[in-house]
Amino acid sequence: MLVLRGLCRGLHLAGYFSASGTIILAATLLRRARLSGLKPLAWGGFALALVAGAGWFLLQTAYFAAARNWADILNAIPIVVQDTRFGALLLGRMAALLLAVLLFQAGWTRLAALLALGGVLAEAWLGHGGAMSGAEGEVLLASAVLHLAGAALWLGTLPVLLLALRRLPGAEAAWLARCFSPLGMACVIVLVGTAAVQFVLLIGGVGALFASAYGALAGAKILALGLLTGLAARNKFSLTPSLPGSGVALRRAVALEIVLGLAVLLAAGLLLQLEPPAMTGMAGM
Amino acid sequence: MKRFLPLLAALAPVPAFAHAFLKSAEPRVGAVVATPPAQLLLTYTEELAVPFCTVTVAGPNGAQVQAAKPQPVPGHENELAVKVRITAPGKYVVTWHALSQDTHKTQGRYSFTLSP
Ligand SMILES: [Cu+2]
Repeated sequence: MLVLRGLCRGLHLAGYFSASGTIILAATLLRRARLSGLKPLAWGGFALALVAGAGWFLLQTAYFAAARNWADILNAIPIVVQDTRFGALLLGRMAALLLAVLLFQAGWTRLAALLALGGVLAEAWLGHGGAMSGAEGEVLLASAVLHLAGAALWLGTLPVLLLALRRLPGAEAAWLARCFSPLGMACVIVLVGTAAVQFVLLIGGVGALFASAYGALAGAKILALGLLTGLAARNKFSLTPSLPGSGVALRRAVALEIVLGLAVLLAAGLLLQLEPPAMTGMAGM
Repeated sequence: MKRFLPLLAALAPVPAFAHAFLKSAEPRVGAVVATPPAQLLLTYTEELAVPFCTVTVAGPNGAQVQAAKPQPVPGHENELAVKVRITAPGKYVVTWHALSQDTHKTQGRYSFTLSP
């Protein structure tokens, strides 16, 4: 159940990020491009976020209520919606994304992009920082907001980037890739920096990476992030400058980044279900 | 890489109070009180989803003495109030299960003693 809940959460984030990333790129770098397939891609991301989000909602409700059957879950749903931040945030964020995709469909791209970004960032309030008061809570919350922004702007825009690299004419694709790589680099720096903050506050020492499931998953995430960074660096310094000749290799690299990015999000979903090692041993008091 | 490990380890561990753990209680954890309290107040390190929190209080003879489910404390999202019916002197064991607004569950147990 814990694993399934984590996977649903990761898939929900992946769908949410890709829908948001598609709309955001359409509102910025792709504003003047004549590119088909953007709207289906945004709707696809929305559908994934919705289905995985529904699964996450049910599993989380079952966990909250310690439910033994469907009746327990059904009874708990109104309480989860009304009295938990989880329920309010998930419903609110899905409503925001639905509205964003509808606005995007209608041509209000910038407003849609803002709304989708707001929905991405709101997820931060479900983390430890959001529930904690005091300076430490604020630092964690701020770092979670930045982490989500970096992840959504980078991982979320990869599917639409791949679509654009496939379909746009060579010169336009090369221009897009050149504009995209500094954005990717900036996101990597933000992701690594905010991950370090979480590492210090939630994991503690390097030894904990090897001593707990939480640490092992976090370690896997760091490793995948390292691989992603390597791929992004290769894109920036080697493949992008030699476009359009390196077009096929670049598209393959972006496809690989998408797969790795999805793995990172699934690991993140699982990680969020587990207990950070800095906490273990405190349970009694 | 090996060289950086001690450096990283030195940056570490600042234990964070992630998840809802008991920060303080009224009557205090382990306290000996002279007058029976009408309610217990439990304060946590994180904000709580109160409908999914439970608190049971077992008296000296093992019988449960909590009068109702834990109630929210308006304006203090990290607190629980539990009405109790306490008369007999002796040791009272409080067992709590908390759901934090961060979606994580925690549990714990402590006691206090009534000695008029
Ligand atoms: Cu927690």
